[in-house]
Amino acid sequence: MSDEYVTVDGVREIVREELRDHGITKQKATPAPKKDSHDDHDGHHHINGWGPHDWEHGAPHNSWAPIIMSLGIGVFLFSFASTFAMNESMNNYVFSAGSLPMVFVGFAIISAGLLVWWRQDLAFDGHYEPKATGVPFQNIDIRKVGMWVFLMSEMMVFSSLFSTYIRYRLGTESCQVILDNHNTYSNGLPFSPGDACWVPASYFIAGSHSESWTLSLGGVGLPDTLVPGAINTFALIISSFTVVMALKTAKREDMTSTERSKKVRNYLAATWVLAVMFLVFKMVEWFIGFNIGPFHAPSLMEDGFTIHNELYSFAGAGHDGGHIDVNLRLSAATFFVATGTHGAHVFAGIIGLTYMTYKAHKGGYNPDSAESIEYFGLYWHFVDLVWVLVFPAFYLY
Amino acid sequence: MKTNKRFIAIICLLAFALVMAPTFEARSGGITNVDSGCTCHTSTSSGDVSPFMTLANGSALPDTYNANEVYTFAFGFTGGPGDVAAGTQDNMGGFNLVASKGDLASLGDFTTMTAGQLTHTPAGNDQVNWTVEWTAPSSGSVDFQLTVNSVNGDGSQSDDDHWAQSTFSMGAVGGSGDETEPADGLTVLFSALLLVASLLIIAVVYVFYRNNPSAFSWESFKPWIAGWLTSTDHKKVGTLYFVAGLFYFVVGGVIALLMRIQLAVPGNDFLTQDEYNQFFTLHGTVMIFLAAMPLINGFANWIVPLQIGARDLAFPRINAMAFWLNPVASVLILTGVFSGNAADVGWTGYQPITSWPGTHSGATFWLAGQIMLVASSTLAGINFITTIATMRAPGMGWMQMPLFTWSILVSVMCLFISIPAFGIGLIEAFLDRTISTAFFNTSAGGDPVLWQHLFWYFGHPEVYVVIIPAFGIISETLATSARRAIFGYKSMVLAMAGIGFVSFLVYGHHMLTSGMSPWLRFVMMITTMFVAIPTGIKIFNWLKTMHGGSLVYRTHTLWSLGFLVTFTLGGISGMFFPSIAMNTHMHETYFVIAHFHYVLVGGVVFALFAAIYYWFPKMSGRMMDERLGVLHFLIAFISYNGLFWPMHKLGLWGMTRRHHTYFLQANEYSDVIGTLPAEASGWNMFITINAFVFGLSTLIMVVNMIMTLFKGKKAPADPWGGWSFEWLVSSPPPTPSFDELPILIDVNETDEAKPNWLMKLMVPDDEEVMY
Repeated sequence: MSDEYVTVDGVREIVREELRDHGITKQKATPAPKKDSHDDHDGHHHINGWGPHDWEHGAPHNSWAPIIMSLGIGVFLFSFASTFAMNESMNNYVFSAGSLPMVFVGFAIISAGLLVWWRQDLAFDGHYEPKATGVPFQNIDIRKVGMWVFLMSEMMVFSSLFSTYIRYRLGTESCQVILDNHNTYSNGLPFSPGDACWVPASYFIAGSHSESWTLSLGGVGLPDTLVPGAINTFALIISSFTVVMALKTAKREDMTSTERSKKVRNYLAATWVLAVMFLVFKMVEWFIGFNIGPFHAPSLMEDGFTIHNELYSFAGAGHDGGHIDVNLRLSAATFFVATGTHGAHVFAGIIGLTYMTYKAHKGGYNPDSAESIEYFGLYWHFVDLVWVLVFPAFYLY
Repeated sequence: MKTNKRFIAIICLLAFALVMAPTFEARSGGITNVDSGCTCHTSTSSGDVSPFMTLANGSALPDTYNANEVYTFAFGFTGGPGDVAAGTQDNMGGFNLVASKGDLASLGDFTTMTAGQLTHTPAGNDQVNWTVEWTAPSSGSVDFQLTVNSVNGDGSQSDDDHWAQSTFSMGAVGGSGDETEPADGLTVLFSALLLVASLLIIAVVYVFYRNNPSAFSWESFKPWIAGWLTSTDHKKVGTLYFVAGLFYFVVGGVIALLMRIQLAVPGNDFLTQDEYNQFFTLHGTVMIFLAAMPLINGFANWIVPLQIGARDLAFPRINAMAFWLNPVASVLILTGVFSGNAADVGWTGYQPITSWPGTHSGATFWLAGQIMLVASSTLAGINFITTIATMRAPGMGWMQMPLFTWSILVSVMCLFISIPAFGIGLIEAFLDRTISTAFFNTSAGGDPVLWQHLFWYFGHPEVYVVIIPAFGIISETLATSARRAIFGYKSMVLAMAGIGFVSFLVYGHHMLTSGMSPWLRFVMMITTMFVAIPTGIKIFNWLKTMHGGSLVYRTHTLWSLGFLVTFTLGGISGMFFPSIAMNTHMHETYFVIAHFHYVLVGGVVFALFAAIYYWFPKMSGRMMDERLGVLHFLIAFISYNGLFWPMHKLGLWGMTRRHHTYFLQANEYSDVIGTLPAEASGWNMFITINAFVFGLSTLIMVVNMIMTLFKGKKAPADPWGGWSFEWLVSSPPPTPSFDELPILIDVNETDEAKPNWLMKLMVPDDEEVMY
């Protein structure tokens, strides 16, 4: 650092040079309105909030998307709560079919808002890319910082779910221990049927409790229900790879734009397929179960691992014939909501990928605008990373 | 002129709504149709079904009844598919009977009472007429609302089933049915909401008219209103936040006044216990989430980009999204009000009551609305953190940021990191109440205290989320009024950041009586006491700022001085709570109410008033009337202290919060638990009177604002002599606010010329000159 005395004007000049060097001055203020364009008195361009948007003038000044999506979310939550209501004894729900269509109406409104948002975004080609000016982020894309900030909040979402899990996992007596102790809690009190205790999901998934068939690979027995989860783990990891390949390809200058668009689209589509596969296998694991040859591997529902099961006949390990009737609702709720929240994140990713694949198909990603894929990739890697934590904690432990 | 007719029609409709509003009553049954029992069989309303209601002996209902006498009525229907099927099939009819007064009692196996209404049992389904016993009230006319289903008996619900509804009335003996009845609290609230909403719409239309009287037509109104609904400009979104916040400030205030009417005298029955539960729930929720936070967001939206020299926020559309989630969420939160089924679980939503089917159905929607607000706060958080981190004007390092911007950054960070925990808790509770998961269901092993942890992990930082921006506002207004830079800028920043950091370590002091481990309680006690240190630093810095400067007494200065007094008092009363023993003693008393209203009203609201008087000229381009401002301050400051100061005393006497009434001791030696000394009655009346004065004094400000908008003197760019960037642009600022990014050369403190080791880490070498 220099100790030279610098005048105020000198500083101004240096700063301006600095800005030019960093290309920040390229990010001009909104250009003077063209006389022939449809702008109103206060210099607003594009009063049309429905899109498509002309990004030459900077970010959209008007958009119907926010208000429409908000309304949709409101309708969805309202009608969801009208459709399902817990019953008097708090062990099941009352289903009102009359409000169910409104749930889908809510979805439709949210989708309409999203379509408006995307329509405005479609023309974004990277020429309007706001850059940071404040230390220590100078010349970094503002969107990138925003995505990292968002991931900070996502981190807290999953931390809270893990807090719930840790609280209940460590604070609830394990059913296996109770069974081992001849139907008594570790404090000596007797266990009565229907009492709550902890049955980890891994008991159904990674354990070999069920009479059904166990997949054998090269002599190593693999519990049947673990198969979807294991496949899913690899599906997500591969999808992280394909999204990186999409970014890498979009940045390549050594091919024609048609060729590049096609490749980018294919990589994004592959990511999409893997993500959908993840959710499909999740449904198989939760609700459907699967057949290989003559054998049927039961789903978690068939196993009795449901949020409403108050009397599950727990046989445990090493107690031939002995069993206790346990209330495993809490174990199930914790498992399904934690992994379900992760699934919801995958679903959100699928929604985004659908649009991005379409945009890639239209040739929307080139070396100038490839960053959009990078920022989606940040989110996608995060979702992947969370699965790497969720999988051992909920499926194996 | 033709198109003006549409507006005249709208105005007439609104005026009609204003007149009619007080006559509306909450609909019996509820919003979800779960328990209304009338139109539930997906049937159609039909004229061929005629309900009837007679005395048990078959004679017609008398015009009048005798007070407190027991009557037996026969009722049912004729006509429709059920009548045809009569005697041949089961499942012929159903009904639902509501009496506006008196007590209905079920007779026999065919009828049953549910939620205050009489309906049929499964066995009663095979009938077309039923009987009921009714105990007459002591006065007033009574309406029986009878809804019947005439069913074709095939056991399935279809359009062939018909229903009809009739109302039967009787007057009190002597026909004195028009005797004045005590107001029904929910009706009053419902009317007030409708009134305020109508006034808001009239105001919107009027503002549009005043903008350009000659273009008062639908053709020009449409793009104008569309511009507001779709705008992503930070100033417009800020104004929307501001309007929404003020609207709910009034709603929350009306709820508070209704509660004060109830508490004015002991043993009052203005509100029922059930209504009171809903009112204190909604008062807390509305004031914190729908009034204070949107108002702060409004100022943050307006001022932060201007102060840091940015053209807009980082993500304008996400900013608009964050706003629009708010009004929709507020509808969900208030849903139950219209049916008398609003959330009744307290703003903390403690478990297991929130996940218990006995609470009102409104609690589910309340949770849904809160989930939307969590989403809104998260989006706003991304926006503000990113904006402040990346879009500061060249030359503005972290330590040159104006203190208001610093305060918004700290508060948003607190909110951003803590609110996901609340969100997850809400989702768990929401799923408990809808698809019946078991997170907080004790019989399935759920732990209600887990909710308390998730809630207060967010809830305590939330308190600082609303108070830290107040610190920022006061730092701005006091420094400008004292005509000097703030004293101890660096310590101010560190104190704010310190409060933000400590806020995550202290939340357990809300749960000291919940049976936490003594070790944890002790830690929370110590850390809570630490909060006083940064807060004290700030108070001393403000005092020193005034001491070193020469104070100009503007309205915002007065509010800032008022803030110093009341916030310090609130801080001192807060120092009683960390002590575990004192906390156990004063838990859930009015002392707590007094404390947090001293910091939230005397702190946040006073600072927001200061901000309104300080930045309104910048936002509207017009100077507010100082005389009305001073009048507002004097009335509000005095009545505010009259309102909340006696609550300390009441709390120490043992008056409990969240109880719908209280009773007095027969004499000073009586020791019935829960009764208060005789003076408590007088003090409560005193508080209620002050509450009304305080509430009405706010109208002075609203009137002042409206008059200013139309008649105020034009404001210069820098009316108060402030020196941050927002005073650089004209009032109101153009769009975009800065044609060329401003560059910060001067700094508040000259000792920033050489970066210290921390700053050096954050600045690349060639940027050093900025410091």
